[in-house]
Amino acid sequence: MPHVMISSKKCTGCHMCELACSAYHENAYRPSVARLYSEVNPTTGAIKGHTCLQTACAKCQEACPHDAIVTKEITVRVKGDYPSKEKNGEVVKGYVLVVDEEKCTNCGECYDVCPTNVIHEHPDRHVAFKCDLCDGEPQCIAFCQNPHVLAVDLKVDKKDKELQA
Amino acid sequence: MDFYKGRVLRIDLSAGTSAVEPLNMEWAQKYVGGKGLLLRYMWEEIAPKSDPWAPENPVILMTGPFAGTNVSTASRLVVGCKSPQTGILNDSYVGGSFAPEMKFAGYDAIIIKGESPQPVVVTIKDDVVSFVPAEPKYWGLSTSEIEEALRRDFDPNAKTLSIGPAGEKQILWACLSTDQYHKAGRGGHGALWGRKNLKAIAIRGTGSVTVGDDAKAFLDDLYRIHSEYVLTEDNLWANEEGTPVLAQIMSDAGVMPTRNWSSGTFDGVEGINSDSFVKIRTKNRACYQCAIGCRQFHEAGGVAGEGPEYETIALCGGNCGIGDIEALMKFNAECDELGLDTISTGSVVGLAMDLTEKGVKDFGLRFGEVEGYLKAPALLARGEGIGADLALGARALATKYGHPELAMEVKNMELPGYDPRGAFGMSIGYATSDRGGCHMRAYPIADEIVGGTLPPDTLEGKAQKVVWGNPAEGMIGENFSAVKFTGIWCDFWAITPEQVAQLFKHLWKREVAEDDVWKVGERVWNLGRLYNLREDVEPDDIPKKLYAEDGAHTTGASAGRSIGTETFKNALQEFYQIRGWDENGVPSEAKLAELGVDVRL
Repeated sequence: MPHVMISSKKCTGCHMCELACSAYHENAYRPSVARLYSEVNPTTGAIKGHTCLQTACAKCQEACPHDAIVTKEITVRVKGDYPSKEKNGEVVKGYVLVVDEEKCTNCGECYDVCPTNVIHEHPDRHVAFKCDLCDGEPQCIAFCQNPHVLAVDLKVDKKDKELQA
Repeated sequence: MDFYKGRVLRIDLSAGTSAVEPLNMEWAQKYVGGKGLLLRYMWEEIAPKSDPWAPENPVILMTGPFAGTNVSTASRLVVGCKSPQTGILNDSYVGGSFAPEMKFAGYDAIIIKGESPQPVVVTIKDDVVSFVPAEPKYWGLSTSEIEEALRRDFDPNAKTLSIGPAGEKQILWACLSTDQYHKAGRGGHGALWGRKNLKAIAIRGTGSVTVGDDAKAFLDDLYRIHSEYVLTEDNLWANEEGTPVLAQIMSDAGVMPTRNWSSGTFDGVEGINSDSFVKIRTKNRACYQCAIGCRQFHEAGGVAGEGPEYETIALCGGNCGIGDIEALMKFNAECDELGLDTISTGSVVGLAMDLTEKGVKDFGLRFGEVEGYLKAPALLARGEGIGADLALGARALATKYGHPELAMEVKNMELPGYDPRGAFGMSIGYATSDRGGCHMRAYPIADEIVGGTLPPDTLEGKAQKVVWGNPAEGMIGENFSAVKFTGIWCDFWAITPEQVAQLFKHLWKREVAEDDVWKVGERVWNLGRLYNLREDVEPDDIPKKLYAEDGAHTTGASAGRSIGTETFKNALQEFYQIRGWDENGVPSEAKLAELGVDVRL
């Protein structure tokens, strides 16, 4: 199933993905509420990417006592003309996990279980927020534009967990 | 308010207090941000002809309007002060991630005044400003150590700006560090922080930068701008090789300072050129919000880290007769940790080697000898042994030992890595640079050597190029450098006035003509000139041997070439005429009125 990955080998730590993510979702640049992030040690240059694996992980969904993490159908198309990006131009259909803000009580169960630390309480709305693949056109991938880098990419996991109807 | 936060944070180190005030938006309209807005604040905040070390004189941190957005490379911070080294304006630029974090914390600018009674670290988390004693924990730490300590003790996501031991000792060219390898290098900001007892600022911001009602439309336009203008072959050289590529080019052209500027061609350049650095390269990193990523990491001889860049290769390599890549890596890393500007350090060490070899004074330093060379930065930063003499700087050191002609500086700032005897246009660029010996204001060498469209061995037409540049071909003149420094864009995006206009359109929410862009640059440059005239700046000149008939090199690719004293003086007058300044370089009332400069001498 489609999800975003950051290659820690290729990533330069420019944080363009976080900026674009927040601008898309918050209508303002606010990387502290980005749905993914790249952890950079300035001295060693070591990098670790943090992204949501969606249905391939689904720990948040399993932990949610209120059924507020919902499986949603999605059609993803990576923006741009990147010959070396895996899914360039390809339309990928699948599922994504989104927060039903009506049901979410901000209980925090999902925050504790997320293995990549990418689901949190929204500072203004006080419900969980997470990656939704930008309704099918992930801005993080679009803004990883340097042809020598292309660290943020769409992956499709085959060993998917069984989807709920 | 879009792009700007509209807020200035004032820090009073004497009282240990802080306050927030509105950003002067009238000035922001006129001078945009970065350099322009910085100079306007400096005009107001620094008493004319005051002592640069006076506690009431500020160090100002200024962002550009595009910091904290996806606008590529516009994450740079400018730090400003009246320089203790030159006595005139000093604007020093640094990449990394500090400026965007300032915006997210809610500030366009931070004005730091006063002198703390005890060494101090200032921490800023959005609206909360704290003063933390720097002793015994932080004072004395190297630049990487203080950064790690503050991430550990204050916030793992904190961005820091700090001094190393050289700043604590108030060495005249001590720099400010951020993200370890990024330095606001020139003019002694680190020395002022040391005097102010300010070890570091650590900042964390969780707020936002808005760009208008429709951030998605802004994203779409930036995606296009990056595809069309940023990630082009013309710019990606910086990602592929970075500035080390200049070493071989400059040496071959007779432009690379070698053995204290006694030649422009370094016989050991193969050891420290780009081919050699590519072999020990480990990875690329980028500054915040930069799609290019020019920061080359290298590993050799037990030293791993970013750099060195070309200026360091030239001044700490060729100028010291060092062609040993491991020694150069060590020297560079040592300067980084101590918080020393490598241009001035390499220049002064090269001068001390020259004085030693000429039998004037034995500093135990000789061209190409690694042992003494590697000890020099630490001695300098601590003022021990020969360090006390080295810390005088090139001009005072050479004068002390009776050889002022050996000091290669302009307005007491040591010159960077381009010898004008091999690229004549640089002579006017150095002479008229608003902060002293600097290559970042005008770079005619881009056409003279790198692009090869102008003959390097004539000054004809060069004054025009120094003023206006040729940005369509990637050559920066002073007026357009002043535009880039308002943004604040990095040189590695060879942005054009037309592309700046496309971005200013988002900022000003109206159609912007190229002429509007040029006007900003000329306005800012004239404001800087007024500032320096108010400080009784020295006449515009460069070391005589760089233009005198008897100063020509006898070896290397630029051997036998001299500009000529008359030719140089005439070109300087031509420069003033083009600018609308009088023969002493004073802007005319008509020029200031035309540009809308809002201050007068």
